Amino acid sequence: MQPNRRARERFPRREALRQMGAGFGSLALSALLAEEAAATGPLAVREPHFAPRAKRVIMLFMFGGPSHIDTFDPKPVLNRDSGKPLPFAKPRIISFPRRGGDLIGSPFSFTRHGESGAEVSELFPHLAGIVDELAIVRSMHCTNPRHGGAVLEWHTGSDTFIRPALGSWLTYGLGSENRNLPGYITICQALAEGGANNFGAAFLPAAHQGTPLGYGNVKAEDATFPFIGDGGRTRLQRMELDMLADVSRRQMEREGPDSELESRIATFELAFRMQTEAPEIQRIDGESEATRRLYGLDDPVTADFGRQCLMARRFSESGVRFVQCNSNGWDHHFDLKNGLTKMCMQVDKPIAALIKDLRGSGLLDETLVIWGGEFGRTPTAENADGRDHNPHGFTMWLAGGGAKAGITYGGTDEYGYYGVENKVHFHDLHATVLHLLGLDHTRLTYRHAGRDFRLTDVHGEVVHGLIA
Amino acid sequence: MRVATALAASCPAAAEDGFFEKRVRPILANRCYACHGPHAGAGQAGLRLDSIEGMLLGGRSGPAVVPGQASVSLLIHAVNHDTSLQMPPKVKLPIAEIATLTRWVDEGAHWPGARPTARPRTEAASESGFTEEERAHWAFQPVRDPPVPAGGPTPIDAFIGGRLESEGLRPARRADRRTLIRRATMDLHGLLPTPAEVRGFVENDSGAAFERVVDRLLASPRYGERWGRHWLDVARYADSNGMDDNIVHGDAWRYRDYVIAAFNDDKPYDRFVREQLAGDVITRWGEAARAEGLIATGFLMLGPKMVGEDDPVKQKLDFADEQLATTSRAFLALTIDCARCHDHKFDPIRSSDYYAMLGMFTSTKTVLTYRVTSKLNATALAGPDADRKLSEIERRFDYHSDFVTNYNRATTPEQVVQAQQEALEDALEEYLEIPKAMAVAEGQPDDLPVMLRGSHLTPGAIAPRGVPAVLASRQPAIAERSSGRRELADWLARPDHPLAARVMANRIWKWHFGEGIVRTPDNFGTLGDRPDHPELLDWLASRFVESGWSVKSLHRRIMLSSAYQRAYAPNPAAEARDPENRLLWRANRRRMEAEAIRDSLLAVAGRLDLAAGGKTMRHRNFTNLNAMALSRDPELYETRRRSVYLPVLRSALYEVLAAFDFASPSAPSGRRGTTMVAPQALFMMNSPLVEEASRHFARRVLDQGGAADATRIRLAHELAYAREPAEAEIASWSAFLDQYESAASSRDDAWQALCRILVSSNEYLYVQ
Repeated sequence: MQPNRRARERFPRREALRQMGAGFGSLALSALLAEEAAATGPLAVREPHFAPRAKRVIMLFMFGGPSHIDTFDPKPVLNRDSGKPLPFAKPRIISFPRRGGDLIGSPFSFTRHGESGAEVSELFPHLAGIVDELAIVRSMHCTNPRHGGAVLEWHTGSDTFIRPALGSWLTYGLGSENRNLPGYITICQALAEGGANNFGAAFLPAAHQGTPLGYGNVKAEDATFPFIGDGGRTRLQRMELDMLADVSRRQMEREGPDSELESRIATFELAFRMQTEAPEIQRIDGESEATRRLYGLDDPVTADFGRQCLMARRFSESGVRFVQCNSNGWDHHFDLKNGLTKMCMQVDKPIAALIKDLRGSGLLDETLVIWGGEFGRTPTAENADGRDHNPHGFTMWLAGGGAKAGITYGGTDEYGYYGVENKVHFHDLHATVLHLLGLDHTRLTYRHAGRDFRLTDVHGEVVHGLIA
Repeated sequence: MRVATALAASCPAAAEDGFFEKRVRPILANRCYACHGPHAGAGQAGLRLDSIEGMLLGGRSGPAVVPGQASVSLLIHAVNHDTSLQMPPKVKLPIAEIATLTRWVDEGAHWPGARPTARPRTEAASESGFTEEERAHWAFQPVRDPPVPAGGPTPIDAFIGGRLESEGLRPARRADRRTLIRRATMDLHGLLPTPAEVRGFVENDSGAAFERVVDRLLASPRYGERWGRHWLDVARYADSNGMDDNIVHGDAWRYRDYVIAAFNDDKPYDRFVREQLAGDVITRWGEAARAEGLIATGFLMLGPKMVGEDDPVKQKLDFADEQLATTSRAFLALTIDCARCHDHKFDPIRSSDYYAMLGMFTSTKTVLTYRVTSKLNATALAGPDADRKLSEIERRFDYHSDFVTNYNRATTPEQVVQAQQEALEDALEEYLEIPKAMAVAEGQPDDLPVMLRGSHLTPGAIAPRGVPAVLASRQPAIAERSSGRRELADWLARPDHPLAARVMANRIWKWHFGEGIVRTPDNFGTLGDRPDHPELLDWLASRFVESGWSVKSLHRRIMLSSAYQRAYAPNPAAEARDPENRLLWRANRRRMEAEAIRDSLLAVAGRLDLAAGGKTMRHRNFTNLNAMALSRDPELYETRRRSVYLPVLRSALYEVLAAFDFASPSAPSGRRGTTMVAPQALFMMNSPLVEEASRHFARRVLDQGGAADATRIRLAHELAYAREPAEAEIASWSAFLDQYESAASSRDDAWQALCRILVSSNEYLYVQ
């Protein structure tokens, strides 16, 4: 299937332009210039290094650090030894030593699901139903045990410096398929723990920075693009833009042609089109009742994240290279049982719906979905009934986009503290994501301040075991 | 030596032999020998693990074990995979095997039959011998004071004219007066000239009229607000931390005001450098300058810091690294920070140079304690007594803050927590009342070892504190109790320093012309650009130093040259030969910067509040703005004051400024980008700021522009473009007003639309 077919059917762009063009003499020229600017600008589509498996990414970020040992990585030995001391040394650095306790088993039960027989806890009944689509990586690890460091490390590859985000590297490497939309959109991302650095372009050209659609405290239904119009002044704005183009043309007649000035006026035409297209994609009224129910929009518990996931699908099928959905509140230092149950209920159904929906439309094969947080949690108790941060071993999963479906990869020790088998560092997963999109992480570089930078710095190895 | 005694004490013992042979040697043989064993030659990375000598001697990363101390033994860190060095590389050892190795090292690393003779290899600090080619790099040569070639009218034109002539390029004519005053006013003030100022200049036909304009602009406080902001880009100024936790820098504004005042007062640049690096320890300017010196060191304090770092040693090194990187790029235009993990790949900067300089910053007190949510140091401005009081409050604050962050919920009674929270709040209240500066102080002076691969878990040889060897034939002598910052500052401010004056003269040139003589103002290293006019750069640097490092005198020299005053005039032949205008045959056309866009919008609307200086960040020190929405608190930006006074929230920048390429405060920036993207157009079309400004602009035109459309259109043009409209333009606008009015059913709306189009237009937004 054509990636953008559905989107094109909804927005017959050229047709719309022709209609809008009636009566506005300068539009044709401006539109032409806008096309040119898009074809040569920083977001122009670029060829990957080699044939890609995926064309775009949807990241489902669980901010706070979801517990792996209560969701995807069952530990019978931990349950057996619950209440006993950890039989080996804790890491050199731990976050809250004064609150630490002994081993604490999982209050949740696990069952095998699907043909793959992957183990999923009772917290994710819907995900359990699509488990054969997933490549579950149980041996993730990163370096920093604090939210700020680890969140930045996931998003940018660095917990020490301010660096471009993964999504920025992707639009830098591949450009954007839809010239009326940003190439990298993040929906309702928290401004905590690194804030805009987590979706920033750093030293890459600013056009590659993630465009925030609302922030962490904003409801998905209220999230809008910065400075986007409400559509109430469209006709008057059209008159203003035509006059603006006129004024600009007169200046160039006086002072000579200037491609920079022409391009700038063209950005107004782009903005005008974006203003039409973007809210249209955000509006989900047109979706069928069945789809709305599938994503859980009819239930206040799942409605918010369901809307994020549905928007993500719509942006993705419109060609947005990198879309991130954000679920905030996975930091369960105490009362893990209730806290984790609540968070899982919010995202379980919407995520399963997204995977099914993408599978149904054929888009899953070329859309890489990534699920996870900045780290996992310790098998030892914190504040008696919670778990501390654990960057040494935790779970993330991939689906679609060339990832191997129905596998469980790598493993942690018998208590779930450290990754031990086929360890995958964030750098490795970054390298793998770039690889699936047709980019060699060692060749995707940007010259800044006297040297070539890359997402994976000097690290990272493609995890071929995760690739179908 | 500890290694030897530990071994001697533990040897020999049959039980230990058994433990080694049964438990330890199999691990080494099975897991390590393939690369570090008897058949591996010198061993990978020069390391052999099949004898205790090999382990103690170590490899490229240093000794593998310290007997008796597993916690500092590289072997143990490596098998735990908790540093960048992870062994075995693919698969982590089972926990039981790690535990065995750990126990073995902790118990003395007993090796059956071994006599402990080997000493750990201490790698000699890399030699400072440089090749001829490395030394020959243009930027490391002494500044020459070249004779001014024949030609003119000014020396600058003589240098530039020579190359234009040899390339067969004819320079553009002089810009007309309206263009010139618009350019100069934007350049020095970041604002547009008023119609009266334009008229005054246009009607003054004296030859010295432009010189008078330049002097008037330089004497105005608006100048420091514009040029101080340029320096704040270099100083990566921000009012909040914004690395992970977005902690408020409640006293940063004093540094911002200090910089603005420094430019307005034409503070000698050598003093400006000294104050920012060592203003807390330099006493030569007397007691009156004490506060100023303290505030100036805010330069070292303001950077982004990963406060949520659990490893205090790494945190200390990271904070110092940020200070070094900023110092190096700001004053030397070098990337010394690239040598943290290895020698610089392109420039003759050794890793030992990096750690020599880093030692100055680790010997400096930047925070109260290195730990998670570490608190920045501050110094009371009123004097030593006030500062003692402040220190006492800081101690209390730090203690309670640590408690409240880390207490155990399961075991700590509610009342205890509450009492701690109240004590913390009390300490904070007292803290806030004391006038103080974000300032460094001297710490415990100490040299650092070169950290192999940049990891503090693998220290190498000591690098005595000093400055980059390639730039100094002799190292400055560092006084006994000094961190070395003072010596660093004195070295940098030397009149014969090869980089200090060149780098700043180039920055000033760049901020005038849009491009520097060296087009990479933050990198004069081998991967940086070469100067287009090397003699001119040296001549300017020489005059800069000779004038007592006067920035204003450099402005005058530059602005009074013909090169500065050229028109932006197309010339296809010249365009073909020199499309980038490196030889300065014409003026450059430049888009206004973010602050100028906002300030000018407010100014044409008659709404700009020119109140200068003072605290504008309303949030209290130590507040973590990460409480979600707070970072985008719209009230922070509701003021109509100049943009330089808006709080800069790192990692949550004001979206108006961010949309127009405001310099990212994450690192020094001497050259902003200019992007052209659709969100900027959306800003012009829909933002409340443009909506409000265009409404007031229209009101002003209606109120002050007479009764006729033509006179009103004329005023609008003068305010926005500094010129009068042609008759055809007036006619076109009149037609637009009528057409728009009939569509919008409001003449006022039509005038607002006209004003919005003016401020959205290229002629308004570009200065040429």
